Amino acid sequence: MSAATKAGVMLRLLFISLIAAFLPAKLHAAGALNVGVQLEPPNLDPTSGAAAAIDEIVYANLFEGLTRINEDGSVAPLLAASWTVSDDGLIYEFTLRRGVRFHDGTNFDAGDVVFSLNRARAPGSTNAQRVIFELIDDVVATGDHTVRIRLKEPLGAFPTYLGWGDAVIVAAESAATNAVNPVGTGPFKFQRWRKGASVTLNRNDDYWGARPALDQVNFIFIPDPSAAFAALMAGDVDGFPNYPAPENLALIERDARFRIVTGTGEGEMLLAINHARAPFDDIRVRRALNHAIDKRAVIEAGLFGYGAPIGSHFPPHHPAYVELADRYPYDPAEARRLLAAAGYADSLDVTLTLPPPAYARRGGEVIAAQLEAIGVNVAIRNMEWAQWLDQVFANKAYDLTIVSHTEPLDIDIYARDDYYFQYANDAFDAVIADLRGAADPARRDALFKQAQEILADDAVNVFIASGPKIAVWSKDVAGVWANAPLQANDFTRADIAGRAPLPAESAGAPAALPIWAVFIAIAGAFAFVIFYSKASPAFLAGRALSMAATLAAASLVIFMLIEVAPGDPAAFMMGLNADPAALAALKAELGLDQPLPMRYLDWVGGMLMGDFGTSYTYRTPVAELMAERLWVSLPLAIVAFAISTAIGLPAGLAAASLARKPAGRAIFGAAQAGVAIPNFWLAILFVMFFAVTLRWFSAGGFPGWHVGLAPGLKALLLPAFALALPQAAILTQIMRSAAMETLREDYIRTARAKGLTRKQTVRNHAMRNALIPVLTILGLQFSFLLAGGVIIENVFYLPGLGRLIFQAITQRDLIVVESVVMALVFVVIMISFLIDLAYALVDPRLRQQRSAS
Amino acid sequence: MIARFRRRLPHFSAAALAGAAIVAAFALMGLVSLLWTPHDVTTIDAGARLGAPSWAHPLGTNHLGRDVLSMIMVGARASIIVATMAVAIGLGLGAPLGLFAAASRGVAEDAVMRMSDVIFAFPALILAILIAAVYGPGAMNAVIAIGVFNIPVFARLARGAALSIWTRGYVLSARTAGKSALRISLEHVLPNIAPVLIVQATVQLSLAVLAEAGLSYVGLGVQPPAPSWGRMLADSQTMVSFAPWLAIFPGLAIFLFVFGLNLLGDGLRRRLDPHREARPA
Repeated sequence: MSAATKAGVMLRLLFISLIAAFLPAKLHAAGALNVGVQLEPPNLDPTSGAAAAIDEIVYANLFEGLTRINEDGSVAPLLAASWTVSDDGLIYEFTLRRGVRFHDGTNFDAGDVVFSLNRARAPGSTNAQRVIFELIDDVVATGDHTVRIRLKEPLGAFPTYLGWGDAVIVAAESAATNAVNPVGTGPFKFQRWRKGASVTLNRNDDYWGARPALDQVNFIFIPDPSAAFAALMAGDVDGFPNYPAPENLALIERDARFRIVTGTGEGEMLLAINHARAPFDDIRVRRALNHAIDKRAVIEAGLFGYGAPIGSHFPPHHPAYVELADRYPYDPAEARRLLAAAGYADSLDVTLTLPPPAYARRGGEVIAAQLEAIGVNVAIRNMEWAQWLDQVFANKAYDLTIVSHTEPLDIDIYARDDYYFQYANDAFDAVIADLRGAADPARRDALFKQAQEILADDAVNVFIASGPKIAVWSKDVAGVWANAPLQANDFTRADIAGRAPLPAESAGAPAALPIWAVFIAIAGAFAFVIFYSKASPAFLAGRALSMAATLAAASLVIFMLIEVAPGDPAAFMMGLNADPAALAALKAELGLDQPLPMRYLDWVGGMLMGDFGTSYTYRTPVAELMAERLWVSLPLAIVAFAISTAIGLPAGLAAASLARKPAGRAIFGAAQAGVAIPNFWLAILFVMFFAVTLRWFSAGGFPGWHVGLAPGLKALLLPAFALALPQAAILTQIMRSAAMETLREDYIRTARAKGLTRKQTVRNHAMRNALIPVLTILGLQFSFLLAGGVIIENVFYLPGLGRLIFQAITQRDLIVVESVVMALVFVVIMISFLIDLAYALVDPRLRQQRSAS
Repeated sequence: MIARFRRRLPHFSAAALAGAAIVAAFALMGLVSLLWTPHDVTTIDAGARLGAPSWAHPLGTNHLGRDVLSMIMVGARASIIVATMAVAIGLGLGAPLGLFAAASRGVAEDAVMRMSDVIFAFPALILAILIAAVYGPGAMNAVIAIGVFNIPVFARLARGAALSIWTRGYVLSARTAGKSALRISLEHVLPNIAPVLIVQATVQLSLAVLAEAGLSYVGLGVQPPAPSWGRMLADSQTMVSFAPWLAIFPGLAIFLFVFGLNLLGDGLRRRLDPHREARPA
């Protein structure tokens, strides 16, 4: 069988599987709720980091605390059935619920409470709210199901703090592995986490309380607002508890399939000011900024109208809220006057640092324009979250920034020493100190009001808006929270109409094929090519040596490039309000305190042994992460490769043999147009047409191979075409010119002269010879398609290697970036080596030259 | 008129002239935008938000009420400047390296070629994203990120072309006349390989425009409020279903500009470097 017919068979097989992909796919498991969330959590342990994305999945669903926060913000008993407080407010006696079991079958008792609270306040604790737990003097089990907690000072809101995600009760046996395999007492238990794609929770049938109606909840990660909209339209998700693209709401409102649920949110959107930098230490300048900004215009552009103006750091739905939104009315003339009085008439240069969310980027453009209008020169600096956390939050290297603070009742951050606003006011600190000890609600409200007024008077920041929590749900979904007193999505009472219960889960999804399968395949390809190429051992050894040198050089370049980057992975993982001691503990745990050369040697040595290190953020081996992603990226590249080859080669041949006919020119013209199309633009147009308008395909996402081959391939088809078509155009051009060159050769003329038809000549003589230069391009193409999926994978939110790199860059997960780039470089070098050898395979002349030299 | 014009440029095809015209139009657009645009691209006009194409705004307005045509005009600047500088880096560093490699042979040549292999081994886009992400987004870093990948392209091309020139008789006679390798490289080799380099530069220019658009699309190109085509596309994505003009026109701009550059490059190749792809006989 010739190589050409083999390729033909392969193509036909692929075509059949492509057809199979069009068969209807069942994306929804019955009885399962698919929830879209914007951010993937770094891990699933709510007691180890401040990342809101953790609580959004596990709070109330998987983990439970002694108390809980209800939808209206009130505190209710949960694992503690009841409690009493001593008169001095220092001693709490909790009576625990009986008959509660952890998901691993162990019993819940007083020992777990003592363990959990002691772990949270221990010196090496990475708990983001350790500052609060340190106010606990001691925790004692006074019986199997009774616990006494003594505080160092009265803490009025203690039961509320116990209801936060940071205070959930974990078992000593499973605490260490909760990051990747969380074990709690909640109504749902952990099923699986597909990194970069989703987390699945299943109903806990042994739950102590009322069993939830849902069989399963899938949290699907969709960071991109446009992808969120597309996923909703395509029916990939049943809704978003926090819908990230407010600009589409008008459209969704008109769609009968959805309802929009607006609730009160805890977020305060701020233009934060660095008080430690001149001229912002001057209150006239800060007041000028306040007068310069038209909050309603910012809300219109940044939040698409979904927000209420505020005047201090407090949410309007709270009873203690003071209306201060018009404390500094929009008045550019007054702003100019204040600036001039401070000595900065027309000569103030500031930087405005913007984190990635749309409210900041879009709001930032409006604010910049408004500040320009009062004569302030604004330089905008866009940053990823990791950089923002490092430069703005940790190092306070900023003038102005826009950010939304979403922690509930967090006005006390203004009393913290060395917080990134660098605001200091003793009177304010005294109010917050009083608030700590106050348990009486009326007294607390009075203090809250006082605190708000001080912040407004001092014009500490420009307090712009309190954003509502905007959820979008399918009409079938009931029983979800409208309000967000904390960053959580409680699905205990949620239900979906018209969905059959889930059949018992079959033995679990097949694990991703191990990464060594890929290496075996590569080795096989090598053996094949080396055997058939009959290349001399000297030639092979020479090539292998230079390949190793290239790899070594590349690894050094990658390592140096990345390790000198600004940004601290530990700070990013810990979230906004992390405590420095906890940060140091985490750094030591990750080995970030080691010197650079040691880290390089560790990394390279590990890779040689097949160990790519452990991801900082996911806390799983990088090799495992890559293996998972490879089963998306590799098939995507293969399908795209097949498409571009199947189109490009025949089209190029046709264009060459019909060069002077209109059809040939048409193909040539189409190819010239095709190379000029950016693949991501094509992808956007595809989504627009095939997913949103025609609804033939889902707008993105990947169901996983465990649901079957056809749905998996179907999900890859649009991205593969978007990736392949511009490449096919390149291939057409190259094939055409290669074929035209061979068509001018003497042996072609001879073949024609001896009576072969033009078709026969092309098929039997021209194509084979023209393939030689085309081979190089084919190899390069595959590398390009594998890596070039980065953007396409992002447009279609496919959990592939490209997206892994992108997420890792923004999360400063250095070891993942290094290892994935290195792996891709490895593949590219391997392929170019293979192609070198393949030349010898198709062209005996080269083989002779090489063994001669 | 046109026929007379055609007679004066007999070696360029109609397609090449069309390409030149497109490229010139975009360059002109970028220049004009320095002095005048139909609307200001930095002010915000809440009243004109998300307007469909109209007489006042021929290509519509975006979510901030900014005029899409004006943004495309200003965006052309970023595209042209970043791409040109990136290719200049590649040509300016790559060509001398290639000439040096061809002139010196031996270890130096190996070193240069091995270095290009290392850079070539990086997937281009990933390298660009890596540089831009590590050193912060911005026009300058985009230039460097794209430029770095252009260096080995020109180094290899220059070396290959130069090697064949070095075998020519006139180089041999120059050598016997005692000219130094440097002088031979500058006086004999460079002028002879210049056409090849110019053709390649056009090709690289169109690739650089695409790369710049890709980087801007993922937010690593020119920073706001300065508009760029890639970022306009990224911004448009959530609004594509009710404001399709936001996605269509910036994409068309990229497409047309790259298309024009390709047509021009093709024409130049046929004119300056006929050996690489002769016209069909």
